[in-house]
Amino acid sequence: MTPVDYSRLLLLLAPEMILVITALAVLAADLIWARDLKDRNRHTIAFSITLFGSLAAVASLMMGTPDPAGATQWLTLGGATTTVKIGLIALTLSALAISTRSPLTSHIGELYLLTLLATVGMLFMASANHLLLAFIALELVSLSFYILVALYRHHKPAAEGALRYFLLGGVSAGFTLFGLSFIYGATGSMAFDQISQQLDGSPPSPLLIVGMVALVIGFGFKIAAVPMHLWAPDAYQAAAPPVGALIASASKLASFYLFARIWTVVLADVAGRGADSSLSAGWLILLAILAAASLILGNVAAIAQTSLKRLLAYSAIAHAGYILIGLMGEQADGIAAVIYYLVTYGLAIVGAFALVLLVEGSDGSDQITAFAGFHRRYPLESFCLLIFILSLAGIPPLAGFFGKFYLFAAALKSGLASNLLFALVVLAVAMSAVSLYYYLKVLKQAYVVPSPNTARRRSDPVLRVVVILMAIGVVALGCFPDILVGDLVADLK
Amino acid sequence: MDQILQLLWLVPVLPLIASVILVSRPGWSRRRAHSVAIGALGFSGIISLLAFMKTLGADPATTAREVVTVTWFQMGVAPLQIGWVLDPLTAVMLTMVTFVGTLIFIFSTGYMASDERYRLFFAYLSLFAAAMLGMIISNSLLLLFICWELVGVASYLLIGFWAHKPSAAAAAKKAFITTRIGDIGFFIGMLWLASSSGSLLFFDNGSGCLEENALGLLGSQVTILGLALSTAISLLILWGAMGKSGQFPLHVWLPDAMEGPTPVSALIHAATMVAAGVFLMARLYPLMAAGATGTDDAFPVTGALIATTFVGSITALLGALIAVAQTDIKRILAYSTVSQLGYMMMGLGTGGPAVAMFHLITHAFFKALLFLGAGSVIHGCHDVQDIRRMGGLKGAMPVTFATYAIGMLALAGFPLLFAGFWSKDAILHSTHTWSVSHLPYWIGLIGAFLTAFYMTRQMFYVFFGGNRLNESEAESHPVPPPHESPAVMTWPLIILAAGAVLLGFIGTPAFPWFQGYIDRAPSTLSLSALFESGTLSVMILSSLVGLGGIGLAYLFYRPIAFRPNQQVDPLQRRLPRFFDLATHRFWIDELYDKTIVAAVGALALVSDLIDRKIVHRIVECVRRAVQGIAWVTRFTDEHLVNGAFDRSCDGFRWGARQGARLQSGQTQRYLKIVGSSLVGLVLVLIWISRS
Repeated sequence: MTPVDYSRLLLLLAPEMILVITALAVLAADLIWARDLKDRNRHTIAFSITLFGSLAAVASLMMGTPDPAGATQWLTLGGATTTVKIGLIALTLSALAISTRSPLTSHIGELYLLTLLATVGMLFMASANHLLLAFIALELVSLSFYILVALYRHHKPAAEGALRYFLLGGVSAGFTLFGLSFIYGATGSMAFDQISQQLDGSPPSPLLIVGMVALVIGFGFKIAAVPMHLWAPDAYQAAAPPVGALIASASKLASFYLFARIWTVVLADVAGRGADSSLSAGWLILLAILAAASLILGNVAAIAQTSLKRLLAYSAIAHAGYILIGLMGEQADGIAAVIYYLVTYGLAIVGAFALVLLVEGSDGSDQITAFAGFHRRYPLESFCLLIFILSLAGIPPLAGFFGKFYLFAAALKSGLASNLLFALVVLAVAMSAVSLYYYLKVLKQAYVVPSPNTARRRSDPVLRVVVILMAIGVVALGCFPDILVGDLVADLK
Repeated sequence: MDQILQLLWLVPVLPLIASVILVSRPGWSRRRAHSVAIGALGFSGIISLLAFMKTLGADPATTAREVVTVTWFQMGVAPLQIGWVLDPLTAVMLTMVTFVGTLIFIFSTGYMASDERYRLFFAYLSLFAAAMLGMIISNSLLLLFICWELVGVASYLLIGFWAHKPSAAAAAKKAFITTRIGDIGFFIGMLWLASSSGSLLFFDNGSGCLEENALGLLGSQVTILGLALSTAISLLILWGAMGKSGQFPLHVWLPDAMEGPTPVSALIHAATMVAAGVFLMARLYPLMAAGATGTDDAFPVTGALIATTFVGSITALLGALIAVAQTDIKRILAYSTVSQLGYMMMGLGTGGPAVAMFHLITHAFFKALLFLGAGSVIHGCHDVQDIRRMGGLKGAMPVTFATYAIGMLALAGFPLLFAGFWSKDAILHSTHTWSVSHLPYWIGLIGAFLTAFYMTRQMFYVFFGGNRLNESEAESHPVPPPHESPAVMTWPLIILAAGAVLLGFIGTPAFPWFQGYIDRAPSTLSLSALFESGTLSVMILSSLVGLGGIGLAYLFYRPIAFRPNQQVDPLQRRLPRFFDLATHRFWIDELYDKTIVAAVGALALVSDLIDRKIVHRIVECVRRAVQGIAWVTRFTDEHLVNGAFDRSCDGFRWGARQGARLQSGQTQRYLKIVGSSLVGLVLVLIWISRS
């Protein structure tokens, strides 16, 4: 192992470094100067610093990628990874922007510190080219999230939800580590490219099988795929809406991207990935089981929900199922589709959580019935809700439609185990028809169900700006999907 | 000037933005609302004018047609591309639409001043302008189709703007459905063209569907009924154009569309939208002309062009005949529009796009002028539209009278001075030299005669003699005397009137500059061309015919002006049978009602039965099945899974009583599920790899 040149490493990790410094600066500013100000002003100060730092990080990402020579066994940089990182920072920023208007906590400095640390963790997840680094990054994200959920002290179930989230998350981390150690045992390495060199296309040994399954379980927890989904509804409901938005959007993007990289780079040469289309063994069947179970359970269980947060949680489970299908498409097209899907899904879900926050703030309830008469109270916001929900349901020309379209097209095009994938796509299409039912239930409340509560109100300008921006993003990416997908496909090829 | 090409997309987008803003800002003052709408369209107009100037200076061989192509999204290997094109056809149409449109917008501020939904009206107008302009610049059949449909939607909204009137709501529906019937043909033609030429772009450096490679292919292939492929596709697209441009037999919606506010009639149903069909044909002219037989002819002759010519001829004659017997001021103009659109189609079929576009442009000016004049008359007469109740407005509305007279003379083809004469003459000339048949030429002459006749009739009824507003016994309360319209309404009239006179001189036989510009060939000034035998005879004959029409109407209707109590139309007295037929529009609407509408109604009844008795049952079954599954899932979840787990977890719970007391017990269950799924998945994988 060659000695690491740390000054070069700092240069390579400039965006992450900027975010760490920003996190510390926010904490310091909040603790030293802003302690005695009103919460709203503290938020303004903290958010301004965060915005500045994030923009600097994005700028350093956009300026181009230094040559990662010498650090390739640890890091991957440039190309699609840069796109993912920019997406992560953008989604985090929008979630933070809503949290400035949430009565989440009075520990404002800590809120920003934890969120930014989680973001740093997610950036590392996107960049990781080494299983150990990936694991540490994953843990940084998870630990920050446990605390963020617990920070919502005005909300009674928050502590319980956070503890449950922590327990399950801890166990899943255990599984991940367990899986990593098995893979290390089977291949003798932890760096992505070295592992893939060790795998020579033969059927996996039982050792590797256990490692892979444990890894799937670990990641399945992060992406809330059945049967590791059980934490999601509780955590979504317990968390404050901004934190829920963060967990649902940015964290999913980072986890899926890492998952996709491990599966396509590290385990690319395990036999039975389906290339021989005989399904002899391997991960394709593993993902297929997860995807099918997530699709069915997520969509069916969502029908019975009365809380919008829980409904979004179950729909997130279902969406994990759709994305897994794209992941099975496995080539550049599939990964590009997954990223596009997650970015657009993230936009819609952050917007939806912002509206949950709006209604929770004014009516104190996250029930779907609290949305009755919403379009009379907030016509503009209600129109945005329409856009988000229809995008989640996959109605053209919104981004959600093209997301699903690309996922399914990538899966069908891949030529792997075509019968299995075809059956899955059919199931997914059928299930997205089912999903229309519960999505439209929300819209029915907002637009059709009469409510005594119809006086026109003005929402907070910050919330409104975030919601409108997200809606514009969903429509724009829907009308012009190529601005994202074209580059991604080119980068990944 | 290259930036103009890159900025051309702004032309439709600016009115679109204005429309969105106006819809989302219902609280704005009227002044602000119309400023935004007029400003956006005016700015589009400036860009259009710059684009027009760029095409003027362009070298015909190389830079006269430029395209910008963007990839919308990638689907498989074939990217879906859209884009815009700048060529003389686009430029002249853009300039006309933005110019006439701006004047009509300004006129509307006066005409609609007392309407409650003023802002919405301007939002719809802007939406219409955006769609129309988008259609004009489009370089892709798909984009053109999208805008084409949006134009239809905007037209629907505007015709039905006064939806509280049942007749307006019905007219909006009729317009939308009738044009949709045409659109089916267009849509099928579009798909066929795309699949056989492999491109939806019109011009794409040699690989577009209107360029030689594709055309050669389309022209040589033979498909059903022995038609060339290009002819079959052209006929389908012609069907679409006939719907939009009110050609027989799809013309029935256009007169009804007069239920909309008069500026709408002027903008949509005279100047722009109805011309869209002609524009489409002009844009696709290379396709129409593909595979022409006999290249020695001055103009190509193909099946599609012959069909276009005859459809146009029939429409031109029919519209003129009906217009003779109408009594509603706007309906007369509407049938006149139908008839003039027929002329354009005739010109397109026999003389190519330049001739048709020339008449399209001049017609847009004088017909917008006439409609706005009619609007001014209606406004001045307090919403009376029946010409039998008007009369004597010459004194009360001098500006309107003067400008209306100019419009009328232009439409009637009064020789030498007016634009309509020159553009109609160009059409007659090209039908005269057409090698297939002389029938369209004679029909054109008869139509010209009738046009002059009915316009003169209208003038006498409306402007001369004494005022008859308060003569009807049915009127319980008297209508106040007519008054001239405000300046904001008369100025657009004056500007349009200037156009209706001057525009003719860009396309006279002596200096066919316009034709050369559209066809991208240089043109020279030669006065002698006026006196060539063919040209001169056509000119003299059409002048005589026009003057004859005016003179005959003078003889018939001059007495009206001086005998106010004339109840029976003089023409009705002389030709009662014909008059009755024309008044009832040849019973075409009634024929449709009895046949097509009735058939569709019966079909709807049957479908409704099937829907209710059969489909509904199936849906109900599916719903029950899904509900059943959901119920079973919930039941198993609540009773079996929970129960089984509770029981199997008892042992575990016993051991971890402490933790169980702290937590709900659910968490353990979660963990158990995770653990067992690990074991299960490993076993599945190992089992598969063994087998």
